[in-house]
Amino acid sequence: MTSDNKKNWLLDVLMLPIGAITFFPFYLIIINTFKSMQETAVSPLSLPKKWIFSNYVTVFKETELLRSFGNSLTITAVSVLLMVLIGAMAAYPIVFNPNRTNKLVTMYLLAGFMIPFQTTLIPLFQLMTDLGFIDRLYGLIILYMGGAVFVFFLMMGYMKSIPKELPEAAIIDGCGVGGIFWRIILPLLKPITVTSIIYQTMWIWNDFLAPMLFLNSKSNATLVLEVYSAKGEFSVNWPLFMTLTVISLIPIFIFFIVMQKQIVKGIVGGAVKG
Amino acid sequence: MGKLLRQLKFQLFLLPILLIYTLFSIYPLLKSVLLSFTNFDGYVKSYDFVGFSNYAKIFMDEALISGISFTLLFAFASTLLITVIAIPLAIILDQNFWSKNVHRAIFFFPSIPSGLLLAYIWGFILAPISSGVLNGILEKLFGVGPQPWLSDPMLAKASTVVISAWAAAGWHAVLYLAFLQSISKDYYEAAAIDGATRLQQIRQITLPLLAPAMTISMMLLLTGGLKVFEIPFALTRGGPGFETHTITQVIVLRGISETQYGLASAMSVVFFLIVLAIAIFQVKLMQKREEKIQ
Repeated sequence: MTSDNKKNWLLDVLMLPIGAITFFPFYLIIINTFKSMQETAVSPLSLPKKWIFSNYVTVFKETELLRSFGNSLTITAVSVLLMVLIGAMAAYPIVFNPNRTNKLVTMYLLAGFMIPFQTTLIPLFQLMTDLGFIDRLYGLIILYMGGAVFVFFLMMGYMKSIPKELPEAAIIDGCGVGGIFWRIILPLLKPITVTSIIYQTMWIWNDFLAPMLFLNSKSNATLVLEVYSAKGEFSVNWPLFMTLTVISLIPIFIFFIVMQKQIVKGIVGGAVKG
Repeated sequence: MGKLLRQLKFQLFLLPILLIYTLFSIYPLLKSVLLSFTNFDGYVKSYDFVGFSNYAKIFMDEALISGISFTLLFAFASTLLITVIAIPLAIILDQNFWSKNVHRAIFFFPSIPSGLLLAYIWGFILAPISSGVLNGILEKLFGVGPQPWLSDPMLAKASTVVISAWAAAGWHAVLYLAFLQSISKDYYEAAAIDGATRLQQIRQITLPLLAPAMTISMMLLLTGGLKVFEIPFALTRGGPGFETHTITQVIVLRGISETQYGLASAMSVVFFLIVLAIAIFQVKLMQKREEKIQ
């Protein structure tokens, strides 16, 4: 809105306290991880009088953080990869081989797009039990595949911007239906793939309901589940629990720092099209 | 023949999504509707059709009534609060000031981690005893005694809404920001020449041009708000009593924990209809508003 390039320092003054309040919860949990239980109870707000690191040692000793990190990573990576692939594959015939059947298929997929996960919870729970998918990482991964429908809509919107001449030229060069997809279309989808990956990664990495319902043994716990079960165990020891929380936030914080620009771009792209 | 084979090869690409979508979305949805008319309890494989009696039971179940009313309250209140915060925030973050990028990051970051973790952090701040962080601050600054932030029905509801707003406002501000940046500077310059003040410019130019962004943002907030689960669950466990139970939590409680499949399925169907009705109503309403503005 400002036509001149002068920086308005009044806004800095205005925003400083608002920003500080917004950031306050993170400041609070971080500093308290370096305190003893007594100090946290007496003076939660101030910096530690003496910085202690034993909470971090204890957390790594008493919980299986690395294992649950590995579980979260496996579930997220595999399901996001498959979802992107399935979504892109589905968009390909819809865009490049339009016919009456495919119009119906699009409508069929669109119809269920509004179905909340909660509505299907009970039959889903029975289905997962019948399939022997309860407490199996691959079971949860297959369940998450349903998210491919969202990717499909993103991909479809993007694919429509690819010139039709491109695959036609490839046919003349002797490329088959499959070849065109894998060698020509898929590499062109990079920007929308980044958007899809960001959206689905944040969903699955942070998801709590599905892992809580479908993974019950400790060895299969995701990072979020690990924090959830620790809430009961460390209920009185706030510094220890906050240490666990802070450690659990590190991977997603790194994701945020590295991907910030793409996340912001992805939000807009995904929200407008999805 | 070659043409048919080509068609077939194309259609094969649809196979994975159709299989997964049908199995994990459509089939369970239809089954939910079917189960909602039965007395299926999960123990005995056979069940009888009981008509609408499960639906009648919904309105006699305290948890279910609480679930519906709190979820609706949460969805509307958080949508309103977040919108009211996000638009001014976006306008400010669109200006030129030194700490702009730092502030964008600070406001945006809470939308990245899991709601469960965020709610646990706030649980520490809002601890109802006098040693709770917020109660400590209030005591020191104003001499106010400890407030039961999470155990008083009204305060607990308000806390979940405010914390959700804290978590999501930055994300929506970024969405508005993208639309703000696409507004041509010429409008403002022309308005300035005509003698419009900054406030008039915001009211006459910025807000109307943000209408499409509002449609998207509020639609996401409302549908997302109806599906809320993690923040109230982690903050209050749905308490006190059933006061902050969400629909999702009640479905899990009655359906999975107590295996009252019929009742919980009826609840799921009602929930689906509420989501659908609000979504359709909202799209219609927003479209009308956008047309009026343009």
